Amino acid sequence: MLTLWTRVVQAAFIFLTTESIGVLLDPCGHISPESPVVQLGSNFTAVCVLKEKLPPEKPKNLNCIVNEEKNMMCQWDPGRKTYLETNYTLKSEWATEKFADCKAQRDTPNSCTLDYSPVYFVNIEVWVEAENALGNITSDHINFDPIDKVKPNPPHNLSVRSSEELSSILKLAWINPSIKSFLRLKYSIQYRTKDASTWSQIPPEDTSSTRSSFTVQDLKPFTEYVFRIRCMKEDGKGFWSDWSEEASGITYEARPSKEPSFWYKIDPSHTHGYRPVKLIWKTLPPFEANGKILDYEVTLTRWKSHFQNYRVNDTKLTVNLTNDRYIATLTARNLVGRSDASVLTIPACDFRAAHPVMDLKAFPKDNKLWVEWTAPTESVNKYILEWCVLSDKSPCIPDWQQEDGTVHLTYLRGNLMESKCYLITVTPVYADGPGSPESVRAYLKQAAPSKGPTVRTKKVGKNEAVLEWDQLPVDVQNGFIRNYTILYKTAFGNETAVNVDSSHTEYTLSSLTSDTLYMVRMAAYTDEGGMYGPDFTFTTPKFAQGEIEAIVVPVCLAFLLTTLLGVLFCFNKRDLIKKHIWPNVPDPSKSHIAQWSPHTPLRHNFNSKDQMYSDGNFTDVSVVEIEVNDKKPFPEDLKSMDLFKKEKNSTEGHSSGIGGSSCMSSSRPSISSGDENESGQNTLSTVQYSTVVHSGYRHQVPPVQVFSRSESTQPLLDSEERPEDLQLVDNVDSGDGVLPRQQYFKQNCSQHETSQDISHFERPKQVSSVNEEDFVRLKQQQISDHISQSCGSEQMKMFQEISTAAVFGPGTEGEVERFETVEMEAAIDEGMPKSYLPQTVRQGGYVPQ
Amino acid sequence: MDLRAGDSWGLLACLCTVLWHLPAVPALNRTGDPGPGPSIQKTYDLTRYLEHQLRSLAGTYLNYLGPPFNEPDFNPPRLGAETLPRATVDPDVWRSLNDKLRLTQNYEAYSHLLCYLRGLNRQAATAELRRSLAHFCTSLQGLLGSIAGVMAALGYPLPQPLPGTEPTWAPGPAHSNFLQKMDDFWLLKELQTWLWRSAKDFNRLKKKMQPSAAAVTLRLEAHGF
Repeated sequence: MLTLWTRVVQAAFIFLTTESIGVLLDPCGHISPESPVVQLGSNFTAVCVLKEKLPPEKPKNLNCIVNEEKNMMCQWDPGRKTYLETNYTLKSEWATEKFADCKAQRDTPNSCTLDYSPVYFVNIEVWVEAENALGNITSDHINFDPIDKVKPNPPHNLSVRSSEELSSILKLAWINPSIKSFLRLKYSIQYRTKDASTWSQIPPEDTSSTRSSFTVQDLKPFTEYVFRIRCMKEDGKGFWSDWSEEASGITYEARPSKEPSFWYKIDPSHTHGYRPVKLIWKTLPPFEANGKILDYEVTLTRWKSHFQNYRVNDTKLTVNLTNDRYIATLTARNLVGRSDASVLTIPACDFRAAHPVMDLKAFPKDNKLWVEWTAPTESVNKYILEWCVLSDKSPCIPDWQQEDGTVHLTYLRGNLMESKCYLITVTPVYADGPGSPESVRAYLKQAAPSKGPTVRTKKVGKNEAVLEWDQLPVDVQNGFIRNYTILYKTAFGNETAVNVDSSHTEYTLSSLTSDTLYMVRMAAYTDEGGMYGPDFTFTTPKFAQGEIEAIVVPVCLAFLLTTLLGVLFCFNKRDLIKKHIWPNVPDPSKSHIAQWSPHTPLRHNFNSKDQMYSDGNFTDVSVVEIEVNDKKPFPEDLKSMDLFKKEKNSTEGHSSGIGGSSCMSSSRPSISSGDENESGQNTLSTVQYSTVVHSGYRHQVPPVQVFSRSESTQPLLDSEERPEDLQLVDNVDSGDGVLPRQQYFKQNCSQHETSQDISHFERPKQVSSVNEEDFVRLKQQQISDHISQSCGSEQMKMFQEISTAAVFGPGTEGEVERFETVEMEAAIDEGMPKSYLPQTVRQGGYVPQ
Repeated sequence: MDLRAGDSWGLLACLCTVLWHLPAVPALNRTGDPGPGPSIQKTYDLTRYLEHQLRSLAGTYLNYLGPPFNEPDFNPPRLGAETLPRATVDPDVWRSLNDKLRLTQNYEAYSHLLCYLRGLNRQAATAELRRSLAHFCTSLQGLLGSIAGVMAALGYPLPQPLPGTEPTWAPGPAHSNFLQKMDDFWLLKELQTWLWRSAKDFNRLKKKMQPSAAAVTLRLEAHGF
């Protein structure tokens, strides 16, 4: 019982020393104010908590142990703490002798060791005295014979010896401790097999007397055992010695106690009536081999009288057997004898296996892979279990084991790995041969797949996508794939998860948004977890399949129809369109002005080319003959003609001048260009005028009469001032055709259809009544040529009509033009003044330019 | 034989001290009256234990003496050891001894031997040897006490040391070194013989006492030390 009492001393504990100004304080307390150094003269409070110091309690439970030949150690319970330096002294004495005291160490006040061995067989009295400043006390005295407290030294030099006669015994021998010479001992012997961790005990009654050897029985043959031994006083008084050092020995060999597991494999590629049969067997485990197996003996019996013997050191034998039935027997041999025989029937080639095991299943338990099955109804000699790791990378290399015919639950005794798929096959073996095998797959321990499935799209629709994936290879499955999870999301949307059964390899995601990027990933799950495969993205299209077609096809059809209708319309109304889009443009090449030069050689079929230079309003030309010079020879005329042509080309496009370009101008830009031309065109719709330049061209005096075109786009004042010209025409062409013709010339094709019609009517009448020989008519022919050129196809029509008309009239086709000129001449003849300079026209009437 | 008076007196004092105190020990009171059997057995065991001790002690000590004393077949004549109590006795004589005489002879012999042994202890050179000798002396003293206990249990008085019967032999400086060693050799040899004889004596006594053996607890109490 501790009581604390506090004494507060307010005092000045100042320990003055000459050197130090500090104060040493008792470590039991503290001072206030707290400071390691107290200044001289200052006041402070010192608090010291003192523990109560007690006299020693009476030591109890004194007991001693005598270590053989070494010492005697006594222990006791010293009782409560005294908080004082207390000495414990172990005292011992005989009646006649007092022994030296043993003083307990300060740190072990509960024991003391005498450094000599007390005398055995003489009682000794021992007690403990405890003493401190407050008092002393003595324990109860104990009186004992030290031999009854002795702990002997352990037996030593333990040896183990086997017996050749008996494989189940080992003989132990040892040297007893020296105490044995005057003391009877008993022993404790323990043993274990070398690999075991727990000890077996020899019955104590077998080792209850002093001895130095012992024979251990009922041991397994050819097994290494480890032994140890200890001893104590026979009567049980005292203490067991320590264990001796361990010693080991191997029991002698015995005949193999069991036949080896025996199985066979037939190579399916047998030829020539022989089949290579590989006989395989397992080495016997040590506890069945009972010794070192020297070799195996295999006997193959085909018929009862015919057998072959093989001696094999290996655990396999390949023999070529015929297709007959064989009986194979196997025995294992060691130094002592041979095992029983394993018998195996290798059925004939035509044997049909049947009667498999039923309800085969495999499951892991206690870190083992167990296989369970229901036995067939037939009597089974034994079962063969084969197993191998299923892998795409390596072939199935089966391991196997044999079980008795009574077994229907066992575990695979092999070094199995986790996360590997094992294919386990159970084959019952009957007396006449093996039955049908049954297989099952199992994992010792499943894990999550090491890779996830790679998902891809099979088809992507506007609102749905068909995902597909491949089954995971067995090497990465690490377990049975129970289900898949498909996670998909848009770029900003939430992730949606779908669970899919493991039997599927495709899945249709529906209710997707069109024209959206989707991210899909997929996990495969075993019982132990899942693993995601790589992400996959796809974009749903904007339109569903066929939607575009549904739009495009009708649109195209409609377009086509419209086009067709348009074409048809155009075709039907081609005349009207033609009139609007490409009106007849006179062909300048067919201009008869060119033919005015009397010496121009006749170029008959030059029309098409020369039409390029046609001028629609050339017909409107007023030609004024200035002078007729008979002296001028033809070459002069030709020259002037060339000059004219040159002029035409060098006048910067002004040559097309008169009326110029009207209809053909756009397609014949070389003929006329420039502002003047445009302005000319502007005037086309009105009246085209021509001015005959009287004087020389560009201040040159023309050597001969020169025909030139007016470059003026201004209406000829003359025409307006002299309406008599028109009137003249009016007067000449009185009757039906006059007015339209006038309009035609004025409007330059704009109205020429009408004029065609009119001319149409006129011609037959005129053809029949006109004399083709007339020069004036030739002039008119030129004019009419212009008309015909300017009106393009209309003229052709007219020609056709003319030719049609010609059928009714006399002459050949060659004369048609002549008729035409005659006609024109007839038309103009009356309106035109006779003063026009006639061109030199060859007989036949047609002068090309 | 020429013994010096000083040595003799020393031995005498030693012996007298032992003998004087033993009777004074009131340890031989019977408790539960188990008879002398257990103490006889214990004394027998003690002789065996002393025998065992002496074997190792003698080996060590003879090696200490050196050749030829440590040779196994060394058998010197018993020259100066005539005063040592002889253990060897004619078998017929031994058989004819009664228990009292037998115990008395043992007691007297070990009393003398113990005194001689203590003299030996003083001469021993090495600490280890001295330690072994001291332990043996203690054990031998225990044997004396044990025999005294048996005698008390059997009601025999302890032999009183006669003033004239002091040991006539004691190792002393009068001997030459070799002769001294010879005496030591014979002392150890005689001790061994006595232990053999004592074992036989107590075995015989044990067998004789077994039917009517009563337990005697030797209770040693310190008195007068």
